[in-house]
Amino acid sequence: MGAAGSKLEKALGDQFPEGERYFGLENFGNTCYCNSVLQALYFCVPFREQLLEYYANNKNIGDAEENLLTCLADLFTQISSQKKKTGVIAPKRFVQRLKKQNELFRSYMHQDAHEFLNFLLNELVDILEKEAQAAKSDPETSSPTEKTANGPKNGQLNGVRKEPLVTWVHKNFQGILTNETKCLRCETVTARDETFFDLSLDIEQNSSITSCLKNFSSTETLNAEDKFFCDKCCSLQEAQKRMKIKKPPHILVIHLKRFKYIEQLGRYKKLSYRVVFPLELKLSNTVEDADIEYSLFAVVVHVGSGPNHGHYVSLVKSHNHWLFFDDENVEMIDESAVQTFFGSAQEYSSNTDHGYILFYESLGASNKS
Amino acid sequence: MINPSNGMISTSSAAANAQSPGLKTYFKTPEGRYKLHYEKTHPSGLLHYAHGKTVTQVTIANLKDKPAPSTPPAPPSSFSASSGVRSAAARLLGAGNGSRALGFVGGNGGSKSLSGSSRIGSLGASSSSSSMINTNFDGKGTYIIFNVGDAIFISDLNSQDKDPIKSIHFSNSNPVCHAFDQDAKDGHDLLIGLNSGDVYSVSLRQQLQDVGKKLVGAHHYNKDGSVNNGRCASIAWVPGGDGAFVVAHADGNLYVYEKSKDGAGDSSFPVIKDQTQFTVAHARYSKSNPIARWHICQGPINSIAFSTDGTHLAIVGRDGYLRVFDYSKEQLICGGKSYYGALLCCAWSMDGKYILTGGEDDLVQVWSMEDRKVVAWGEGHNSWVSGVAFDSYWSSPNSDGTGETVMYRFGSVGQDTRLLLWDLEMDEIVVPLRRGPPGGSPTFSTGSQSAHWDNVPVGTLQPAPSMRDVPKLSPLVAHRIHTEPLSGVIFTQESVLSVCREGHIKIWMRPGFSESQSGNNPDTLLSTSSKEKPLLSSKVGSSSYRQ
Repeated sequence: MGAAGSKLEKALGDQFPEGERYFGLENFGNTCYCNSVLQALYFCVPFREQLLEYYANNKNIGDAEENLLTCLADLFTQISSQKKKTGVIAPKRFVQRLKKQNELFRSYMHQDAHEFLNFLLNELVDILEKEAQAAKSDPETSSPTEKTANGPKNGQLNGVRKEPLVTWVHKNFQGILTNETKCLRCETVTARDETFFDLSLDIEQNSSITSCLKNFSSTETLNAEDKFFCDKCCSLQEAQKRMKIKKPPHILVIHLKRFKYIEQLGRYKKLSYRVVFPLELKLSNTVEDADIEYSLFAVVVHVGSGPNHGHYVSLVKSHNHWLFFDDENVEMIDESAVQTFFGSAQEYSSNTDHGYILFYESLGASNKS
Repeated sequence: MINPSNGMISTSSAAANAQSPGLKTYFKTPEGRYKLHYEKTHPSGLLHYAHGKTVTQVTIANLKDKPAPSTPPAPPSSFSASSGVRSAAARLLGAGNGSRALGFVGGNGGSKSLSGSSRIGSLGASSSSSSMINTNFDGKGTYIIFNVGDAIFISDLNSQDKDPIKSIHFSNSNPVCHAFDQDAKDGHDLLIGLNSGDVYSVSLRQQLQDVGKKLVGAHHYNKDGSVNNGRCASIAWVPGGDGAFVVAHADGNLYVYEKSKDGAGDSSFPVIKDQTQFTVAHARYSKSNPIARWHICQGPINSIAFSTDGTHLAIVGRDGYLRVFDYSKEQLICGGKSYYGALLCCAWSMDGKYILTGGEDDLVQVWSMEDRKVVAWGEGHNSWVSGVAFDSYWSSPNSDGTGETVMYRFGSVGQDTRLLLWDLEMDEIVVPLRRGPPGGSPTFSTGSQSAHWDNVPVGTLQPAPSMRDVPKLSPLVAHRIHTEPLSGVIFTQESVLSVCREGHIKIWMRPGFSESQSGNNPDTLLSTSSKEKPLLSSKVGSSSYRQ
C-alpha cells in the first residue's frame, strides 16, 4: 500500500496539489459503501472546510460525547493532517460509531451507499440542531453554529421564532423543491415547498442526466383514482402536478435509481442502463431561469450486477485531476475515463461499473458561508 | 454472465438489430418513408476487450472509374506479385526513397527503428496472401469505411452484403478517425488517424486491390506519436488544398500536413506558453511535415469540419466552445459556448452560412456565420448529441427559386439511439422567438439583448447564452433506429446512413429511391413516395459526404 501511494505521488509529480492528501480507506468487511461516500464528501471542499473549521472551534468545548459528527470531523482531520501525502487510513471509530448508531449498517451485508449518505447528512443536521438548542438554553457556551442559526428547529419550544435552523450542512446540500398542483377545474395553483439533500431520479436506458431531470419535472396529470383535493373547489378534481426546483442547492447530489423493485420478480433488480452525465450541468427545471452552472466533482460507482452484492468505488476530481478511490487504493485516472462508468447500452454486459451518486458543485460560489 | 440473447457477446454478426423489439425497418417523415435498405457491420468474433474504447466513425468514399493502378508516382508494378510487398515496405519507410528513409529510422534511436523493422516484418509475413490480387474489385464504386476496435473495415455501399469486403488490422494502436478525398490528384486519398496519434495516408484503391489484412503503400506521419502523442480526434483533407490535410489531437492541438512532403520530417514546435491562447507555429524547415501546429484550446478537440469551399474551419471540443477559423489567414473569426458541457460534433451547411453543433447539453445548436451567434437550439434528444449533418440533397417543397424563405433540412443522432430530422426555416428564425419566463418578466427587454449581439468584434468567443434568449426548434420527426448509442449520421443522394458506436451501420433509402432499388419488398412502399418530387435535382457535393 505504501508503494501504491508513492506510485500516485510519482504520477502527480510536481503537480501534487499543495496541502492536499490522498488517502485510501481500509475496508472492515463490506464497508465500501461507507468509504466511497466518505471520499466524495472529503473532496467536497466547502463541506470539508466547514467541518474542519467546526471541529477546530469545538474541540475544546468540554469533552463532548462522541457522535457521528465528531467521528467524521476526527477522520477528516486525521486525513488532512497526515505528514505523508498519500497512504491508507482506517476509519475505525467512524465505522464503529455508525454501526452503534444504526442497526441497518451493523451487519456485514452489502449496504446501499445512497441510504448511508442520506442517513449521515440527516444525522449531522440533527446533531448540529441539538447543539444549537443546547447553546440557546446555555448562553455561556458560544457555539459557532449559532452564527448561522436563525433559531431552533422546533420554534414552539421558545414560542418566538418559527424559522428552521440553517446549519452549514444545509447551506451546502439543501435545496428547495416546489410541488405545483394546478386544479384543472378552477385553475388554482397550489404550491407546496419541500427541502431536499439529494434528488433521486428515475432512469431510462440510453438517456442523459439532463433528460432524467426533465422527466423528474415533467407534468403529471392526476385523474381517475388519483385525483387531487382542491381546497377552492372543496372536492376531488383532476389536476396537473409538476416538481420544480425553487432553490438550487450549492452542492447538487443526484441519486440514480438503479435499484428498482420489479413486481413480476418480487425483488429488487439493478438497472445497468447507460445514463450519461456531463462534467458540467445546468438545471433547466428551476422556477426561475437561473442558468446556474454546476461542475461534477465526485461519482460514487456501484460495481456489480445485482442489488444485494457488489462493491462501491468513487471517482473524485481534486485540483483538476481525477482520482479513483477503491477502498485502500488510490489511482490517478484520465478525465475521459469517467465515461466508462455511464452504464451499459445492452442489458447483459461485462461492464458492471455504473455511476450511482453524482456530486456537482455550483460554480457560482455564492452559497459558501 | 454470458447470455445467449446478448448481442454483444453472441457470435451472430450485426446482432440482429432490425429484429430488436420496438425497432422498425422504416421511419416516417412528411415526405414519405425512409426504408431500411442495407445493414453493414463488422465480422463476428471481433469483439475483444479493447473494443468498447473506440467509437465507430464512418466515411463514405466514392471511387471514380479510373483505370488501375491509380497511383502515378508509385513504384512500377506495385500490384503485381511479390514486388508489391517490397514496394509497400519501402513506401512505408518514406515515399519510396529507401536510403533516406533508412537514415531517418536510424537517426531516431533504437526504439523507433525497432518499431519500423517490425512493421516490415509483419508485411513480409503476409506476403503469401498479399501476392494475390483481389479480382472482385472493379476499380470503382461507393464504399463505406469504418473503424471498429483495432481495424478499419471497408464495405460496398451498394451491395446487400452485411459483412465488409476488406479489413485492415493495426497492430500498434486502434484507428479512430478517417477521411477520404474525393478529388485527390494522385493515389493517396484516404487518411487514417490512430489512438496513439499516428497518422497514415493511403490509396483506397490500392487497399481494395490487395487481399492482405495490413495497410499497403502507406505514408506514415507522426510515427509513434513523435510530434504529438495525443489521440487523433478528427482528421480532414483541406478542400481544394492540393493534398493538404489537418489532424486534430486530443490535447487541443491541430497539425497541418502536406502529403507531397516527406512524412519523415523532424518538425518540432516551440513549447506552448499559454495553454488557453490560440497560437499558430510554423515548421522551421520547409521540407518537413507537419508544416504547422495550431494550438486551439486547453483540453481535447472532439470534432473538426471544413466549410465546403475550404475557407473556414470549425472546431469543437471538451471546453464546450465552437471555434470558427479563417483557414488560410490562420485566424479565429468567431465562436461561442454550448449551453453546458462539451461539444461533440459539428457540420457546415452547403452554402457555408450555418454550422450545426451537438453536445453534452442534449441540444443541437444552429450557429449563424452572418450573425456570429447561436440562432436556434434544437430540443428533442434525450441524451448527448453525437452526430449532426445538413441534408444537402433535400430541397424544400416550395423552394422554386422565387420564395423568400430559405429552408434547410438537417439531421442529428444521439446517444439516445435516435435519429431526429429538423427543418430550419430562416424566416422564422430572423426574429427570435423569445420565450420569456413563465408569467412574464417586466424587466426582460428583447431589444437590449439583440443590441448586445450586434457587431461582435472578430475573434471573440461568445459566452453560453441564457436558455430564454435562444429560439427553440422542435424536431420534425424523432425515431429510435438502433439499439446502441449512435455516433454519426451521413446524408447521401439516395439515403441516410446511421452508425452506432459499436460499429453497426444502417442505410435508410429515401422515399422514392427504395422503390427502384430494393425489389424484395415492394408491398411495404408507400404509394405516395412515387409522387414525391425527385430529390436528384439538388446540388451534389463531395464534402457533404463527410459528417
